Amino acid sequence: MLMEKNRIKIRIYRKDPEKDAKGYFQEFDVPVEEGMVVLDAVNYVTEHYDQTIAVRWNCKAARCGSCAAEINGMPKLMCKTRIDQLGGVVSIEPMHAFPLVKDLVTDVNENYETERAMPEFTPKEEKEPWIIDEMDVLRSQEFRKCIECFLCQDVCHVIRDHTTKYIGPRHVAKAASLDMHPADSLDRSKILTEEKGLGYCNVTKCCQEVCPEHIKITDNAIIPEKERAADGFYDPIMMLIGKIKKRKNGKNVE
Amino acid sequence: MLNKLIPKELLEKNIRLYMFIILLAVAALMLVLFPVPEYKGYIDPFYSPTILVLPFVGLYRLTCYAYRKDYNRHIFKHPIACSVIGRLDDNKRGYTGETSGIFKIENLHRYFLYSAIAILPFFYYDLYISMFYTGSFVLRLGSLILATNAVLITLYVFSCHSFRSLIGGRKDCFSCMHGGKSIKRVYDSQSKINAHHETLAWASLIFIIFVDLYIRALVAGIPIDHIIFALVL
Ligand code: SF4
Ligand code: SF4
Ligand code: FES
Repeated sequence: MLMEKNRIKIRIYRKDPEKDAKGYFQEFDVPVEEGMVVLDAVNYVTEHYDQTIAVRWNCKAARCGSCAAEINGMPKLMCKTRIDQLGGVVSIEPMHAFPLVKDLVTDVNENYETERAMPEFTPKEEKEPWIIDEMDVLRSQEFRKCIECFLCQDVCHVIRDHTTKYIGPRHVAKAASLDMHPADSLDRSKILTEEKGLGYCNVTKCCQEVCPEHIKITDNAIIPEKERAADGFYDPIMMLIGKIKKRKNGKNVE
Repeated sequence: MLNKLIPKELLEKNIRLYMFIILLAVAALMLVLFPVPEYKGYIDPFYSPTILVLPFVGLYRLTCYAYRKDYNRHIFKHPIACSVIGRLDDNKRGYTGETSGIFKIENLHRYFLYSAIAILPFFYYDLYISMFYTGSFVLRLGSLILATNAVLITLYVFSCHSFRSLIGGRKDCFSCMHGGKSIKRVYDSQSKINAHHETLAWASLIFIIFVDLYIRALVAGIPIDHIIFALVL
């Protein structure tokens, strides 16, 4: 257990895109208290040393997702990462997958645009009120836990290290939550494959590893969507069955 | 044509990939050159029902989601680790994921699953033979090992993600289906073992190699097998 007089070195990434061509680290010495999280340390620095450090947070309870950062190289929430679980020096950087606003703050707006471009919930033509069985909503509910921290987007090597049309794990999870909803009439695996680069995900599961809500993004959203895409694009037998069904019902199974 | 077939990932210099291919080739060659004869009711799982099924078994494992994660990380280094420091992946490296050339075969994993399911009964048949080859019942250490092997492979095969999709994952509304409640129950149970798919993939692979070595040792005359129980009539 860490005693109150323990001190820790924290290195904070600094960059003001309007002034600095390159980012740099600034080191601070912070006293450690029991149960302290990284956000406490950053707040200590802004209170005692330098008020110009830009940092964004709201709930300090792992609910709002705004304090996402890269802590010692791992995308994590600053308010949920305890100092005593880290080594002697703690490096804190912004999420480099997104445009930098200043210091630790990034602009995650592109995610809201991606979200808006996803075909929205489109109910089947059934009479309201819908009666939905509990067992049918449980799967899509898992993805509703998402707090939109976008740590999964930040860690995904396809988003971060390559230029493709892949929209990223958060958005496939969103698509899956709509697709698996019993009252929804669309199958988004088609658009995910054709336009949104689902095939670029190579199931390496880093998104699942960093998700603070422990959503099984790869296992429960991406892989099921890939399997649905295989039904419609790669599996000749399923494609044939799909065609016959479509002709029978005369309805659009897109 | 050729560059359509061969994704960029395979064209870059990659010692790990070359080593992996050499390892696979040598292992396959060894299995073909040094077959294991049946030994006192024990049939080596690599030769059951015949060594000719090896390509299907191999492709089942190669296209398995669990191994995909492993080789994409540790052979192709896309990325080697989730930490954003030193993950050895960057924009200068070509990357097509599962969208081009032979990597598209990943999308047909389910067909290799079907072949793996078709082979499963042979493991149980071999177990039966190992216990009844004398005409009466005899339980030996080797049979217990074969039983463990059969169970591990069964769990591995049925914890597959494609199987999960097949038995209900692709459905959005269970209550709208005839027998939906039972289908959901099967799906939920499968999901529980599916969560351990990676562990089962490795456990079953390591174990089948162990079984092969065990039987080879017996054939070579090393006395490691023991009779646990025999029914003398
Ligand atoms: S599993 Fe797919 S989406 Fe998730 S981090 Fe890896 S490549 Fe990205
Ligand atoms: S899925 Fe998880 S990691 Fe991704 S944005 Fe939502 S809560 Fe964050
Ligand atoms: S401050 Fe809200 S999630 Fe960290």
